[in-house]
Amino acid sequence: MKKNSAFSRFFTFLVFLFLYAPIILLIVFSFNQNNSNVVWGGFSLNWYRELFQNRIIMRSLYTTLLVSLIATVIATIAGTFAAIGFYGLRRRTRNVLNTVNNIPMMNADIVTGVAMCLFFVAFFALWKDFALWINSIQSLFTLPTRLTLGFPTLLIAHITFNIPYVLLSVSPKLRQLDKNLIDAAQDLGCTWFQAFWKVILPEIKPGIVSGALTAFTMSIDDFIISYFTAGSSSSTLSMTIYGMTKKRVSPEINAISTLLFVTVILLLAIINIREARQERLALRQQGAPSVSAGAPAAPKKPVIPQKLTRFAAALACCAILLTAGVGAFHNTRKPIVNVCSWGEYIDEELITMFEEQTGILVNYQTAESNEALYSLLKSGAGDYDVIVPSDYMISQLMEEGMLEKLDYSQIPNFSLIDDRFKNLPYDPANEYTVPYTWGTVGIIYNTTMVAEPITSWGAMFDDKYAGEVLMFRNSRDAMATALLYLGYDVNTTDENELRQAAGLIADAKSRGVYQAFVMDEIFLKMEGGNAAIGAYYAGDYLTAVENNPDLAFVIPEEGSNWFVDAMCVLKDAPHYEEAMAWINFIASTEANLRNMDFIWYASPNKKALEGYPAYYEELYKEELDQETYEIMAAPPETLERCQSYISLPEETRRLYNELWIKLGIQ
Amino acid sequence: MNRTKAFTIPYTIWMALFVVAPIIMIVVYAFSGADGGFTLANFASMGDYTVVFIRSFRLALIATVICLVIGYPVAYLLSREGPRFQRLATVLIMLPMWMNFLLRTYAWMAILEKNGLINQFLGLFGIGPFQMIDTQGAVVLGMVYNYLPFMILPIYSVIIKLDHSLVEAAHDLGANSVVTFLRVILPLSLPGVLSGITMVFVPSVSTFAISTMLGGGTELLLGDLIEQQFLGGAYNPQLGAAIAMVMMVIVVLCMLVMNRFGEGEEQAVVL
Repeated sequence: MKKNSAFSRFFTFLVFLFLYAPIILLIVFSFNQNNSNVVWGGFSLNWYRELFQNRIIMRSLYTTLLVSLIATVIATIAGTFAAIGFYGLRRRTRNVLNTVNNIPMMNADIVTGVAMCLFFVAFFALWKDFALWINSIQSLFTLPTRLTLGFPTLLIAHITFNIPYVLLSVSPKLRQLDKNLIDAAQDLGCTWFQAFWKVILPEIKPGIVSGALTAFTMSIDDFIISYFTAGSSSSTLSMTIYGMTKKRVSPEINAISTLLFVTVILLLAIINIREARQERLALRQQGAPSVSAGAPAAPKKPVIPQKLTRFAAALACCAILLTAGVGAFHNTRKPIVNVCSWGEYIDEELITMFEEQTGILVNYQTAESNEALYSLLKSGAGDYDVIVPSDYMISQLMEEGMLEKLDYSQIPNFSLIDDRFKNLPYDPANEYTVPYTWGTVGIIYNTTMVAEPITSWGAMFDDKYAGEVLMFRNSRDAMATALLYLGYDVNTTDENELRQAAGLIADAKSRGVYQAFVMDEIFLKMEGGNAAIGAYYAGDYLTAVENNPDLAFVIPEEGSNWFVDAMCVLKDAPHYEEAMAWINFIASTEANLRNMDFIWYASPNKKALEGYPAYYEELYKEELDQETYEIMAAPPETLERCQSYISLPEETRRLYNELWIKLGIQ
Repeated sequence: MNRTKAFTIPYTIWMALFVVAPIIMIVVYAFSGADGGFTLANFASMGDYTVVFIRSFRLALIATVICLVIGYPVAYLLSREGPRFQRLATVLIMLPMWMNFLLRTYAWMAILEKNGLINQFLGLFGIGPFQMIDTQGAVVLGMVYNYLPFMILPIYSVIIKLDHSLVEAAHDLGANSVVTFLRVILPLSLPGVLSGITMVFVPSVSTFAISTMLGGGTELLLGDLIEQQFLGGAYNPQLGAAIAMVMMVIVVLCMLVMNRFGEGEEQAVVL
């Protein structure tokens, strides 16, 4: 055979370089001293140390490994037997079943994910009626009526998309099998099972192993199907990473990928070297001149089972260890509270403090925007106890009867809340909410990248900054920027005004004004000097300016929005008592001070808000800049220029959705 | 082997429950309104989304063609290397999949950003900076990067199984290497090409994470559009289901047409 030329080898090398350049980058930056993926700050193992202390990442790694292993084991066994079954079927039946089997593999992941999500949610609804009926006609046992997406559904989804891969790699091996072998074995006195174990299995083993490996790889790498089927109580590594890519990816993720990657490289290297050595050995014994000659199956036999047994043993060991881990985890299961908030919106130490104080585990999730939170709740994918929506979304959820009244006797810290944040229009009698933070919306800009200070919302639509502007990726805030600029009310329900506002954004977009539509990605973009102007929340500006002193913030002259985000509990929340404990803890003055210091959003807790400058001075031994304090906690004269959003009638909401989708389509 | 037939029963039930029933759910949703009644309104509004369909299919097609143009030569060249190198190379191609695709895509963000590695490097020579991220080109790059292995591996595994004596026969009969490649190797490797195209095109056309991360979220792709209706900022699962269904049907039609070209060869080639 002719060998490849140097040129073609160089081409192959380039392709490999392309495949590995980003990975090498991630590995290199996992040893970076600072938290940038671009600027090298010196060698350190910090991120590895932090990795093992990051519960969210470790827990999702655990979920990922567990679901992949269990799904692989089940899918491998089920797939192998299914393949044997298919093999014995008549051709026509087999073809039909094979076609169905191919569906999960050929179908787009997003369709499979969405379909399963819809199916599970519909099943849960049916189950609820069924369980209620069963519970009503007998009293021997009570069936749980409330099922939610979680680990079991995630596992089912993984098994479902794994089996086809196993089937696909076992079937060809079966087809190569001499049908008479089994008859022969049985004629010689084997039971069917013995024949299977001693004759079929060794022959199809390579297929089983490659099927299992493929299944495991697919499970580990899967994101989209997990995203739609895992619900909120279990999150795989990919889901955690996806959540992070929407804000700041913490370099601990680089570290864990490096570890996973190195583990796999080592495992594969060992297997490969051994394989190569054994093959060479086998060939030498056999005296065959070439590998590609397709040596008959017989001499390979002593080689493969040995390697496979070892591989299978290793896999089984891992599975058993992990299952044992799960058992232990379940036995010591503590009370839990599921919280859904926004990204970069809590000092995570508070979670640890709360867990230590009360023994209640906090499952802390984040949603991207109020609208996304609403979708999560509606679709059944979000199963939370406590949520932290903004004012207008609270009214909407209340109207739809999705919130539960709070038991204020269990929330003594509610009395610490400043009276101006009680009985607000979204909750006039204050029965459902405890305020979490409040703040304003404005424009963040990079003083080195603009000609003159920004003063108007007009900057968001100005050609002067084409390609440098970041717009909100949620309909309510994005539309508000345009409505304010046009001089309309942010709560308008007038179709013409809304269409005009959407038209303004669409027009600016078609002229290339926007670099991107972002939510928390804005941190990365503004801090890195990748964009000049972006509309966002005051608190997040203060976080960003810590990393890039060139940034400035303005509440434009046309006025703006001010908002309150408040904690509420969802109807039928399974952990009501724990939710009360959490809300009470977060409403305390200490938690508010810590939060304010960490996320730079103003607290509704009177003592905390007033005491923050002193707290800051004590902590950092320097005075808090008055301007900073006023950006965080806008003084009354600023608030006067701002309006809060109120919940819109359904018709207007539908118009918002329509206009919003159209903007994206364009 | 009569008793083995029984083995199909559990899996058939499983498929009915978790493969067929969910797809029926999609169809049911697609034909119902927000109140649950039957309606065709979801499909009637499909015309508004033509732009997204065209954009998604165009980008996916470009990505698939690039994957093919890069992937086929790599697969072919690999098959001519020594067995040890081949083994190493196939492992190396599969390996990146063990590092989460979101992370690999995220790494590209750092490379392509305005102040990213490429622009900083070019800046050293006084060139640029170029706007690379948040463009359609970046989205295509992300697709090619993530799905290239799915093109290389099936093609490779078909070429490696080719009967080498056919190539020798062609040479003996006077064909030069170009003719041999065009008339013998290429047609015989077609099943691998077809399955590679499927495995690249389908995820590309339906991706949603890659487009938000590298495309800046200003131009929706089909995946984003569907995700928005279910878990994103514009809740409307019925419309989402309808869009997913239309996408599914178009993809299946494409595959059918394509496999007709491949004369119905079995595309049982995975990794």
